Amino acid sequence: MPLSELELIRQAQRGDERAFTRLVSHYESLVYGFAFKVCRDKELASETWQDTFVNVYRKLHQFDGRSKFTTWLYTIVVNNCRMKRRKSKLEVASVSIEAPGGFHDTRGTDDEGRGAQTTIPPWKETPLDAVMHSELKGVLDSAIQKLPMDYRIVFILRDVEGLSAEETGRILKLSVPAVKSRLRRARVFLRERLNPYMTT
Amino acid sequence: MHRIHRHTANCRNVAKHVQEQLDYGLSSGAYRKIKEHLERCPKCTAYLDSLKKTVFLYQRYPDPHVPKRMRQRLFAVLNLH
Repeated sequence: MPLSELELIRQAQRGDERAFTRLVSHYESLVYGFAFKVCRDKELASETWQDTFVNVYRKLHQFDGRSKFTTWLYTIVVNNCRMKRRKSKLEVASVSIEAPGGFHDTRGTDDEGRGAQTTIPPWKETPLDAVMHSELKGVLDSAIQKLPMDYRIVFILRDVEGLSAEETGRILKLSVPAVKSRLRRARVFLRERLNPYMTT
Repeated sequence: MHRIHRHTANCRNVAKHVQEQLDYGLSSGAYRKIKEHLERCPKCTAYLDSLKKTVFLYQRYPDPHVPKRMRQRLFAVLNLH
């Protein structure tokens, strides 16, 4: 952690309101972006964002600087995403990753969920333009909303936010092998859901 | 039949490790056999490509901007000025 950032945190811990508002300004996009990626709903993401910074304000004295500040911050926002899920339809929206239609979606599949004797049609080219069109966004939203929350969070932390397996494990209190296992299942689950759209 | 069985077994073996390629690439000597398999197996190559594209699409999904009113509302809740 850069010294200036640690000093900013120390000032906020001592009750400096300007330092705290600067912390909010620095991390607001990270928290809102992550919350949106998990919830796929701007209103829920907004509520999660506020709950997270209220928690940060009240618990900042507990941050001891031994971990990265972002690790501590992700731990709080992940907990708030989980609490928000319990209060919302997100719980109902996801399916069991082990159920038919979940990870193992066809009989005779191999360890990655592939039919052993089937062909695998190639996917169409992904859009390289800056603007992702709304139809594709809808497909991506729908697929990830069906992914159970614990797998969804691992996928977002590792593959979208780019955190290491070790840091993801610290945030979620999971072993590295457990993180890797959930990540692989999440990728396969999402791939299966996107497959009809990407092959037609 | 024997050749098909052997081919399937190889694909299964590769399937267990193909996601390692997503995480660590195939530069390591340990993955040379996987790379060799991918070069001659269109099915596994297509599968790996689709996994890569799955990750890529979610990475490309744009983040929404933080509305200004959210910060104002937060500071009001915390009684900060």
